[in-house]
Amino acid sequence: MDGLNTTIVKYPEEQSVLNKTNVIANDTENPVRITIILPTNAYFMAGIRDFTMTVVQNMTGFSEQWAFRFQSVVDELTNNAIEFGSAPGKDIKISFVSKKGKYIEVYVEDSGTGSMKKTAAEMQTFVEKQRQMDPTKITSIRGRGLSQIVANWTDSLEFRDNEQGGITVHVVKYLERGEQF
Amino acid sequence: MAQINITFQDINEAGKALKLVTFNGQLDETNVDTEAQQIYKIIEEMHEPNLLFDFAGLEYMNSKSIGYVTDWYTKVMTKNGKIVIARPRANILDILKVVGITQIVNIYDNLDEAKAVFSAKPAVSNK
Repeated sequence: MDGLNTTIVKYPEEQSVLNKTNVIANDTENPVRITIILPTNAYFMAGIRDFTMTVVQNMTGFSEQWAFRFQSVVDELTNNAIEFGSAPGKDIKISFVSKKGKYIEVYVEDSGTGSMKKTAAEMQTFVEKQRQMDPTKITSIRGRGLSQIVANWTDSLEFRDNEQGGITVHVVKYLERGEQF
Repeated sequence: MAQINITFQDINEAGKALKLVTFNGQLDETNVDTEAQQIYKIIEEMHEPNLLFDFAGLEYMNSKSIGYVTDWYTKVMTKNGKIVIARPRANILDILKVVGITQIVNIYDNLDEAKAVFSAKPAVSNK
């Protein structure tokens, strides 16, 4: 993925992404964090989806169905950051945190430089309002990503204002019986 | 950048003209706004737009793509037409279910069954 910066971290020491299989094989106690920094441009999203599939399939213990679902979750969160949170030329940070067989977390952080930027409270209100609607009655082209796809396919969805501006969206999905490989 | 190829084929199903729309590739933020216009054009041109979407080759669709499907569905219904989806992959069917589209649009895992929907006569009511 040209133009992207990727790091993988098994606390406390930093590892190369190429070592991820070894990291998981030898240590299932500590969570693994992988962070990707990408320019505010949807051009990179196909690569991010491929990367998400690889991460979920190889590092979390979730089934293929959930790997596809997390492709959508990450895609929707990142597109939201591109559309609202970060201006072209600025960065978006995506972090995957996983404890194999337990859970996966995703953080998507924008820079707050977008022309249509929103606060965490505004995002929370928007999602809650959309969640109240009968999904079959939504007639607009937009408005299903966070409230239907992300909210339904995660156990926790929260928004946080960043000190330097922008927001971080944080989702968690716990691995339950029947969802693993 | 995601690649998508959408092709159109005229079909006559038991005397009814319909358009087979075949999707191959991925529909996402980079291409859906442009590609959606092809479908709008077809809906505009057809007197009674009957569209059969073959999703067998569709690998990915995002929420906006699904939004377009619902918008096409609304426009088609106002012209007494129909949209039917055939052969979605498991991940596509999964996302269509989670947003509730399967409650609106008929979906079949077989192309012939999907075609037959267009030629089916409406049920006769005795009331």
